[in-house]
This record gives sequence, C-alpha cells and structure tokens, in this order.
Amino acid sequence: MDISLALPRLCGMGLSFRVDGFRLLFACLTTYMWLMTSLFTPEYMAHARKKGRYWFFLLATYLATMGVFLSDDLYTTFVFFELMSLASYVCVIHDEKPATMRAGGVYLAVAVIGGLVTLMGIFLLYHLTGSLSFASLRASCADLLAGGGREELKWLYIAGLCVLFGFGAKAGMFPLHIWLPMAHPVAPAPASALLSGIITKSGIFGLLVLAADVFAGDGAWGLLIAGLGTATMLLGGVLAIFSVDIKRTLACSSMSQLGMIILGVGMQDLLGEHNALAVRGTILHMVNHANLKLVLFMAAGVIVMNLHKLDLNEIRGYGRKKPLLKAVFLTGALGIGGIPLFNGYVSKTLLHESIVEYVELLHQGAGSLPGFLTPHQAAALFQGIEWLFLLTGGMTVAYMTKLFVCVFVERNADPALQREYDRKGRYCSPLTGTVLCLAALVLPVLGCLPGLTLDRLADTAQTFLHGHSPAHPVHYFSLVNLKGGLISVAIGAAIYLLIVRRGLMARREDGARVYADRWPKKLDLLTLVYEPVLLRALPALCGGACRLLDLLSDGVITFVAGTVFPAVFGFFCRVLDFVTDGCVLLLRRTTHRQRRPAPVVPDGYRFSYYAGTCLNAAARLLDRTVRRGRPSGRDYVLLLAERQSLYKDTRRLIRASASFSLLMMGLGLAAVVLYLLVLQ
Amino acid sequence: MSSYILLAPILLPVLSGAGMLLFPFWNARARNIFVEAVVVVNTILTLAVLRLAPRETLYLFSLSEKLPLTLRIDGLTVFFAAIVALLWPLATLYAFEYMRHEERVNTFLAYYTITYGVTLGVAFAGNVFSMYLFYETLTMVTLPLVMHTMAPEAKRATRKYLYYMIGGTAFAFIAMVFYVLYAGGTEFTYGGTLDLDRIAHHDNVVYLIYLMGFFGFGVKAAVFPFHSWLPDASVAPTPVTALLHAVAVVKAGVFAIIRFTYYCVGPSLLAGSWAQHTALLFAIATVVFASTMGVREPHFKRRLAYSTVSNLSYILLGVMTLTPLGLLAGLAHLLFHAVMKISGFFCVGAVMHQTGREYVYDLDGLGRRMPLTFGAFLISALSLTGIPLFSGFVSKWLIARSLFAQGGILGQAGVLALLYSALMTAVYLLTVAVRAFFPDREADTASLASYTDPSWQMLLPLGVFSVVTVLFGVCAGPVLSALEGIAQGLV
Repeated sequence: MDISLALPRLCGMGLSFRVDGFRLLFACLTTYMWLMTSLFTPEYMAHARKKGRYWFFLLATYLATMGVFLSDDLYTTFVFFELMSLASYVCVIHDEKPATMRAGGVYLAVAVIGGLVTLMGIFLLYHLTGSLSFASLRASCADLLAGGGREELKWLYIAGLCVLFGFGAKAGMFPLHIWLPMAHPVAPAPASALLSGIITKSGIFGLLVLAADVFAGDGAWGLLIAGLGTATMLLGGVLAIFSVDIKRTLACSSMSQLGMIILGVGMQDLLGEHNALAVRGTILHMVNHANLKLVLFMAAGVIVMNLHKLDLNEIRGYGRKKPLLKAVFLTGALGIGGIPLFNGYVSKTLLHESIVEYVELLHQGAGSLPGFLTPHQAAALFQGIEWLFLLTGGMTVAYMTKLFVCVFVERNADPALQREYDRKGRYCSPLTGTVLCLAALVLPVLGCLPGLTLDRLADTAQTFLHGHSPAHPVHYFSLVNLKGGLISVAIGAAIYLLIVRRGLMARREDGARVYADRWPKKLDLLTLVYEPVLLRALPALCGGACRLLDLLSDGVITFVAGTVFPAVFGFFCRVLDFVTDGCVLLLRRTTHRQRRPAPVVPDGYRFSYYAGTCLNAAARLLDRTVRRGRPSGRDYVLLLAERQSLYKDTRRLIRASASFSLLMMGLGLAAVVLYLLVLQ
Repeated sequence: MSSYILLAPILLPVLSGAGMLLFPFWNARARNIFVEAVVVVNTILTLAVLRLAPRETLYLFSLSEKLPLTLRIDGLTVFFAAIVALLWPLATLYAFEYMRHEERVNTFLAYYTITYGVTLGVAFAGNVFSMYLFYETLTMVTLPLVMHTMAPEAKRATRKYLYYMIGGTAFAFIAMVFYVLYAGGTEFTYGGTLDLDRIAHHDNVVYLIYLMGFFGFGVKAAVFPFHSWLPDASVAPTPVTALLHAVAVVKAGVFAIIRFTYYCVGPSLLAGSWAQHTALLFAIATVVFASTMGVREPHFKRRLAYSTVSNLSYILLGVMTLTPLGLLAGLAHLLFHAVMKISGFFCVGAVMHQTGREYVYDLDGLGRRMPLTFGAFLISALSLTGIPLFSGFVSKWLIARSLFAQGGILGQAGVLALLYSALMTAVYLLTVAVRAFFPDREADTASLASYTDPSWQMLLPLGVFSVVTVLFGVCAGPVLSALEGIAQGLV
C-alpha cells in the first residue's frame, strides 16, 4: 500500500502525507489506543469538570498525532508535532492542581524549547539539502555523508543534533527526560496511557527519520544515539525502582523502555546493511510498549479512580481480592518484563540480538563504527551495552514485581484500610472491565504467536526504515534466545530480593514494613541544573547585561546630547561670543576710552587738591585691602582744603595785627644789635 | 485618470483632521461617524488609486533644481500604502471604544486622521526629498498623540520621542544631501541611482554616508542603541501604540531604510561592504537585546513594545542581506508583523480598558473571563514566536533562509539570534497567554469575576486580525508570490 498526498501551497512550505506499511501500522495503533482510552475515559472522568475541553483537546491531539505518523516530509512532521505538544498540554493539566500546573509548565517548556530548536535544525537541513521530503533527504544526505566537505558535514551534524533535541525530548531521551516522570503521574490516567503509549512514539518517529534517512548507516550518529539510549534506559530503570508512586513508576518504566527503543534506533545505523534485527526490534518494541502501557496505565487508572491516591503505601493491598484487575495487571507486568510467551519478550529479544550481532560483526571486521574507535574497543563497549541491556531488563522485572506484589499480594500496613479494600463491591463498570480485558488479551496473543502476528507487522513496516529482511527467520523460543530473557529474569529476581526488599523498605514506628522513598530529593536534573541555569543564571546574566546596555545606551545618548554636547559647544560658543565682546571692551578701555572733563582746580588750593587726591587714592587702596569692610569715608581733598583756608585766614590775621608789627620791630632791633655786637 | 488623483488620499484625511481641529465636534456620535466615514472613504480611495492611477510621476513643485516634490506609485508604494490603508479603519473603530472615557478625544482623532494622510504621503513619495518631507511631518503630527494623556511621564516620553526623531532625521538629512548631490537622478529607481563615476575611489565615504542614513532612518525603526524611545512611548493611548508604534511610524522607518538602501544607494554597491556588516551587526544586536529586555519587562505594553523593537530588526535583518530573497523576507515580515502585533497591542488595550491591569503578573486567570481577547492574544503570541500554522513562521523562515544564503559569521549569528529570540518570545508572550488561561494560583480568581470581554468595536478588529494571521500562516503562497515581484523590482 502506498498512497501519497501533497498540498504544496499550505503552511508556507507545503504539507505532504503518505500511507505505507509503517505509517498504516502506526495510524492503526494510534486509533486503537484512542479508541480504548476513550471507552475508559467516561467512567474515569465521571466527576471531573470541563469535560468538553478535555475531549476537544484529546481529539486535537489525536488529529495531530495522526498527522505526525502520516507525514512524508520533516516539515509536515514538525507542524503536527508542535500541534500535538500544544494540544496535549491541555489534556495533561486537566485537574489544574498546583503540582499539575508545575509539571505541565515543564512539559510545555520542554515542548516549546524543543520545538523551536528542532525547527532550527529542520531549517539547517533544508538549507543543506534543499528539500525536506524523506526520500530526497535520504538521497542528498547520503551524498553529503559520502563526499561532503568538512564544513558541510559539521553543519549536517549540527542540524541533526538540533532536530534530535526536540524529538528526543518528546521521546524522553536523557538528558531531556525531565518532563516525563513529572507529567505522566499528574495527567488523567487515559491521557497518561496515550502520552506514554503513543505520543512519546512520535518523538521516536523523528529519531527514526534521522537514523534512517538523514544519517543512514553513519557510525558516529549510531553510537551517539545508542549511548543516549543506554543512558535513558538505565536511568529510567533506576528511577522506577526507587519510585513509590504507581504512576511515576510506570512513567519511569516508559522512559526505560523508550531508552531501549532509542538504543535500537542507534543500532540501525551501527549495523548498516545488516540492520534487520535492529529495525524490526525497534518497530516491534514501539508497538508492544504502546500496548503494554495502555494496559498498565488503564489498570493504574482504575485504582486511582477509586482511591484518588498514588502512593504505594496507601494503595498497598488494594488488588488482593480483585481477580480481574490482578490478571490484567499481571499480563501487563509479564509483558513489559520480557517474560517468554508475552509480547515484550519478542521485541526485547530482537533488540538484544541486534547488539549481539553487532559485536559479532565487529569481530569479523564489518559493521560501521565511528572513526575514533577501533573494532576491538567497540566490541568491548557493546558487550558492556549488551549486559546493561540485560540489566535494564532485570530492573524492569524488579520494579514490575515491586508494583504487583505491593498492590495485589501484600496486605496494607493499616488493617482497617485493608478490610475496606477487601470489601466486595463494584470497582469499575462492565465496559471498563471489557476494555481492560481486551487490551490485556492482545499481549499474550502477540507473544505466543509472533510468527503470525508481530513478524508480519514487522515485514510490512520495515520498508519505511529501509530495513532488510533477516537472512533466516528468528526462532524466538530457541534456547539461545530464551537465555537472554532468563538472565534478565534472574537479574530481576536478584535486584528485587536484594535491593527492593532490603534497601528500599523501612520499618515504621508501629513495626510495619513500608516502602520508603530513598531517592535523594536533591538529585533531580530539573531542580539541580535546568532551573538554576535557565531560570536564574541565564536571565540574571543576559538580563543584567541588557539592562546595563539599555542604561548605557540611554545614558550615553542622554549624557552626550544633554550634557556633553551643550557643555563643550556651549563653552566654545561662549569663548567665541566673548572674543567679540572682549575686543569691544578692550578698545573701549584703551584706545577708544571716553575722556573725562579735566577737573577744575581752584586757585590757591592746588596743593591741597593734589595732596588730597593722593591721600584719597591711598585711602581707597587701604579701604580695599587693609581696612576692608570699614572704609574711612573721608575726602582728603576737602579736609586739606579746609586746613589750608584756616591757615591762610590765620596768616592774614596775624599779619594785620599790631602785636605782629611790634614783634617784627623788636626782631628788627634785636637783629641790628646782634649785627653791631657781632660784626663790630 | 489624471495623476493629480495621487494627492487625494493624502489630502483628504489631512484636511478633514485640520477641519476637526478648527471646528471641533460637540457630539461624540457625529464625530465618530464622520471620522470613520473619512477613514473608510480614504481607504477605498487609496486602494482605487493604487489599482487604477497611472504609474507616472506627479510633479508638484520644486524647492530647488534638485529638490522637487514628486509623488509616484511603484510596487513598494502599493505594498506599504495597502497595509496602512487596510489597518486604519479597524484601528479607528477600536479607538472610538478605547477613547470613550478619555478627554480631548476630538483633538486626538483629528491628529489620528491627519497621521493617516501623512503616512500615505511617505508611501507615495516619489523621491528621497519628498519622502523626507513627509517623514519629518509624520514625527510632528504624532507628537500630540503620544502626549495625549498630558501626564508627566507622557510629557517626558514625548520629549524623548522628539529628541530621538529630530536627532535621527538630522543624520538622515546629511545622508540625503550627499545622495542628492551625487545621484544621477533623484527619482526612486530599484537598484539605486548614485553616479558611480563621481563617487569612484571614495567607497569609504559612501559607506559612512550610507550608515548615517541607515541609523538616521533607523531611529524610527528603533535600531539599537536608538530604541529606547519606543518602549517609553507606550504611555500613549493604545490605538497609538498599536497602529503607530507597531505599524505606521516604525514601519515608515523601515520603509525609508528600504527606499534608501534599494532605491537610492543601491544594494549592489553595498553588498559585502563594512557598511552592510555594521548594519547587520546592529540589527542582530537589537534582536538579541530587545528579546532579552522583553523577558525582564513586567509592564504588559512595554513588553510588547520590546517585542516590536526586536521584530523591526528581524525585518532589517532580511532587508540588509541585500538580496531579493532577503527583501522578500523583510517585506513579508513587515506585513505579517503588522497584523499580528497590532492584534497583540489591541489585546493589551482591551485588557487595560476592561480591567485597568497593566502588569503581566496581574493577568493570571484573566483568560477565563476574557476568552476572546486572550484567544486572539494567544494566536498573536504563537505567531510572534514563529510556530508553524501562523504567519510569523513563514516570514521568519524566509529571513533565516536569506541570512543563511548570506553566509559568513554574521549570517550564522543572525540565524542564532532568530532562534534565541524565538525562545525568548515564547517566554515573554506565551507564558502570559498560558497563565491567563491556566493560572498558577487559584486563590485570587474571585477578584476577576466582574471582568468581561470588551464590546464588538474592540472584538471585531481582534477577530479580523486573528483570522488574517492564521490565514497568512496556512496559505501564504499568493501573498509571497505578489511580494516576490516587488522584492525583485519588477513591479
């Protein structure tokens, strides 16, 4: 089947769709998931508010998810991917409690930031290759990888990393997984099932496009993805073991399983021509995980619907007397634990075999690998990864056992509560029960008859990833393949008994053993790294710098225009202004000074006038210097003139008087006598 | 049709506005009907003139041999005049409702209407001198609009506005004089008209003069470091901020830069020069700077003003790549941004009008009470962020393409700046929209109970702009092919 539809004028770049085996499989899977959850939703949401909003955005998410899986070029994928992120946000935060809003905020932030970075990567890819349709991307990227210059290759990898950012975040890939363990537990259970089962797979879809079309057969890319996948599955497994919240455990389990899928995606590129096992394993684990999480989240949803509690210690023992729920959950647990005869086993075996095959290829000197590793190193590395894979399988068994034993086997620490749990009564409607049974029934059917079911699905779907059919059919139940599954179970049993039962349980004051949350609260990538960096350091730095720039630019402009400019130019202009004025003043003081009329000196008073003027000048000088502030206030000209006239009057009077004449005569006589005496 | 018809769309609003100043209306209803009628008639007239008038130069008079006042229609005129003409009636409708309780509405509407004619004058100008004349007039007639409230901070903002504008046009004037002296002919001609023989061996002088023109006209386009008048000017009533400070005035600055770059100096002369690199560098700096400031700004309207600053520089980024693709990208963003930003500002205005709340932290939960307003705001925010399906994406994509085609460190830095700015836009606009619908705190929603969506006069423009934003985003093909002709100088 191959139908395609292109709408070239739409949305700027044009949209294009295609239906082939892979897309048909996932379109059907999406529809199946939505159908099952929609049948479960009415009972789950019976007492919720704003159901209309929930249904609207649920359907919008459905539409967008279908768009992602049916898209035939990266741009169309992206458009619907963003739409899906935004629409699913409203479903996630449906109950609008504070914790929900916080988780939703993280979900939205990751979606929007991831989306924009991905858009950037898509843009770079478009610039490098000139087209975004999968077929032409494959052709032109193959050319680039084969014969591109250093510069072009660098940009191709940058573009790839950018695209990986958004899709990887949606796929819960380390270190962008932060939203996943937060958003799943707070969303309504049907939405959790969809989120975990199918929406994360749309992220994987992007990774598959990158692996199969952009970096087909590129060892370095394969190693990167495989490494990230390994980290994701390990971290998910560890978080799930430590979790004491049923939905959080399932969410972390999703992360772990998605890590396995991502590892498979990486193996596709590493295996190059021989990627049949990896391709089929990846596709089938995507299908299986979707089905498994549908069952598990709906089963958890039934518990939450009745108890409105998620803590393992509180719901402990709830399922003891509920055989239907117990059977359904057990099927899911066995499936996801990779127990033979259940579906998870088949895909995990394929993924495991693909790693084994790659190690063998490396020993033979085949298989693509990045330049900086020798085949021997790579072989050792992937032998390690093989064991980590088995270890993750073991962790899966361990945390599913923990959940099952806690909810369905053990008694609650509080006997009264246990009695209430054990009371007969309807805990779900017949419709919900039927849906649960049907969904659970699929798992063993797929697992028991892989040749009839899963292999055929893989056959139709693998052309999308350019997978080659395996040289010989895989015998899932041969001893070699069973060995891997059994090792995982053994590891799981060991982890459960040694770590979960001993390390992760604590004795309460009344002596009852309860599940303890031993995960250090501080050890959270979100609160440890992302929030301090993105919400505090970065805004403080950038914002501070910009604020400074703003002030500077504003300040400099104001300062220059308001102060410096007027001051400098004002000074010059005043100087220039003063030059003219100063010239005029100088001339007036010197050459063009107005003459004062010459003072009229009265006759007979010449001396007192000049002496008085001199004294006046001296007094003025003293007034200005020594006697500052207390001037004498005398006019010496007048003073002297007065004295002179007094002197004149006195002289005239004396000359005119008789005594003066007698005195003069006496003086004359005395002079004559003196003359006679002395000279004679 | 005589080419004198070109004068009609400019004179009709100017004369009507002047008439309103001389003979004020006493009846608000009659005044509103008169203003809306004038504006609508003028819009129809403008569109008719753009479609039907002869493509020849209308010579009016001349100040000197080389400074004739001429009007002419070419592709860019049609583009800018059509945007202005289509947005004005809706903005005026919005203004009636917004200004209902204000004082001095008659004066306000008079100047608002005069501005319409003057903006069209900038679009219709046939040479750089005519454009300069209208450009300077635009500053003057918008002054009373910014100062309208007469509050101290409005007066301060107006002073700043005046200083920045006058300073800018002074630089532009120097560039214009140089250009007029050394041009072969001053008529706007795609590709430039500088007389290459006369400026040979004086490359650096030409570049310096060009940069003077760029930054001179760039003051209206709010290029860093001449941006700070724009956030301050948001004290003006919202119809002014929305239409003038998101479209008419600031886009007139961008328009003038496009004219000066592509129609006067010539892109081929500048391509690869340090002048181009400097202009690109400042545009990139503006984008990064303004997006960061947007995040820090708690005042809703100022936040959008910072968004305008960064988006104007997106346009300049496209324009300054000096390629037809870049000009196409710039023009597309000019158009799309006009629609989505005016929508954003109208939402802010509606919120302020209905609730009196001005700060983003006061808006939590308001989306429930004013769903239509905040729905329109969400669309505007998504589009400004550059999410596909909305028009902002289309133009940003084109700008990024043109920048990458430009190559070099500046091209790559420009693309990075776009990415950074998109992220910041998501932070400073989307968070507001999200928190309006899904508040963090449930407690104080009770105080919001009395608020509702505004009346139809405010909602109609919002609805139209939102629909257009989505329409351009989903189906941008016809618009882009029309713009392509303009960008290549064919129309």
